[in-house]
Amino acid sequence: MTDAIIQFRNVSKHFGPLKVLDEVDLDIHKGEVVVLIGPSGSGKSTLLRCINGWEQITGGDLIINGMSVLGGNKVLREIRQEAGMVFQQFNLFPQMTALQNVAFGPQEVRGLSRKEARDLARELLAKVGLAEKADHEPSELSGGQQQRVAIARALAIKPKVMLFDEPTSALDPELKQEVLNVMRTLAAEGMTMVVVTHEMGFAKQVGTRLIFMEHGKIAVDGHPREVIDTPPNDRMKDFLQHV
Amino acid sequence: MEVNWLIIWDFIPQLMKGAQVTVHITVVGLLGGVVLGAIAGLMRAYGNTVINAIAFVYIEVIRGTPIVVQVMFLYFALPVLASIRIDPMTTAVLAIVINAGAYIAEIVRGAVLSISKGLTEAGLAIGLPRWKVIRYIVGPLAFRRLIPPLGNQFIVSLKDTSLFIVIGVGELTRTGQEIMAANFRAVENWTAVAVMYLIMTGVLSLMLRMIEKRMRIL
Ligand SMILES: Nc1ncnc2c1ncn2[C@@H]1O[C@H](COP(=O)(O)OP(=O)(O)O)[C@@H](O)[C@H]1O
Ligand SMILES: [Mg+2]
Repeated sequence: MTDAIIQFRNVSKHFGPLKVLDEVDLDIHKGEVVVLIGPSGSGKSTLLRCINGWEQITGGDLIINGMSVLGGNKVLREIRQEAGMVFQQFNLFPQMTALQNVAFGPQEVRGLSRKEARDLARELLAKVGLAEKADHEPSELSGGQQQRVAIARALAIKPKVMLFDEPTSALDPELKQEVLNVMRTLAAEGMTMVVVTHEMGFAKQVGTRLIFMEHGKIAVDGHPREVIDTPPNDRMKDFLQHV
Repeated sequence: MEVNWLIIWDFIPQLMKGAQVTVHITVVGLLGGVVLGAIAGLMRAYGNTVINAIAFVYIEVIRGTPIVVQVMFLYFALPVLASIRIDPMTTAVLAIVINAGAYIAEIVRGAVLSISKGLTEAGLAIGLPRWKVIRYIVGPLAFRRLIPPLGNQFIVSLKDTSLFIVIGVGELTRTGQEIMAANFRAVENWTAVAVMYLIMTGVLSLMLRMIEKRMRIL
């Protein structure tokens, strides 16, 4: 057996007759920063969403930190605590301040006391550079700031893996960097990450591995700088010219 | 007969008794209606196909028939069908529960579904169980959106109690009619009755507006 923290074993995913993931085999190890790219509709989001059970796989098996996503609701909830998720639309809880957004998970899920949860939240907000925004509501924050709060919120439950689905796609160009910088820091600390993104600069700099998806299959799997500079297949070359 | 407004004072006590019955039916009926509506609304929003269908049929049957027919059914048809005989007062309360419940269910469902799916996912993503997502995240947001349409329904239900005249419940309208039959003071009598309804709906509106204000601060 491997020590992979995420193991796709022949995973397929159908939506009705549509096959969105086609017998995917993939091992992701601790500390890897895997960047997922590919044309729209190629199954990147679905692959990510299968990892914490948003989408139920229809074939094969998928094991996260030793737990199968097929293990039922209780196991799924444990998996979700091991795999933090950051969405394109930040999805902060609008009725809570930044601090409450971050503190809520540890208090309700990890069973920390109110004080412990708030201390942790403060620490994490400082880490994403938003210590002074702790008491602001999401509506008072810029998109980049909201996304950084969302990252802090996901980190607060102490996940072993962080999943990012186009975390900067909804942001203005000048706000993308502040989010990417936070992700850079995380990677430097050794966090295992799976990132769907169109930011090739980030992929080359921070990624330890790059996967190009096509029609629900992994078409290219290699070192980011190598495969981006010399794409091993024409479709990937084509794709890179358009991002 | 000349209009004599002072005569209203003679039958005010009697009308107050009728108003009391109206308030009683409304309050108890709406308490039940809110509970039933919340359950049916959540069944619609979160239930699987079967649960959803049960709630759907209930809501459509009630919304698709006049409340008078529902009252008649409860009072006259149910005893025949199921040998259940209930007194007029219980019938009235039950009718409000069932009728308001259906409308409130649609209000609850709408409010819950208008909260973005993304928030539910974000809640589940940090490992919260679904009930906590509903209780702490979607619920409070939905509740704020619930207040205005809910208030509207409360006022409609309050006024609907006037048709329990058809099964002889001594609420405000019925009381007005009794007084009318005794003294033929149509103008004074129905003006007084109308004003009393206005006071009740007015107080209800005021209460709702206060709750709304409080909610916005929270
Ligand atoms: N819930 C769903 N129901 C039906 N089809 C879906 C659903 N989610 C995604 N799909 C389809 O699956 C395919 C892959 O989608 P997705 O994983 O979002 O691609 P990507 O993220 O690479 O753009 C698309 O054809 C999309 O239309
Ligand atoms: Mg996508």
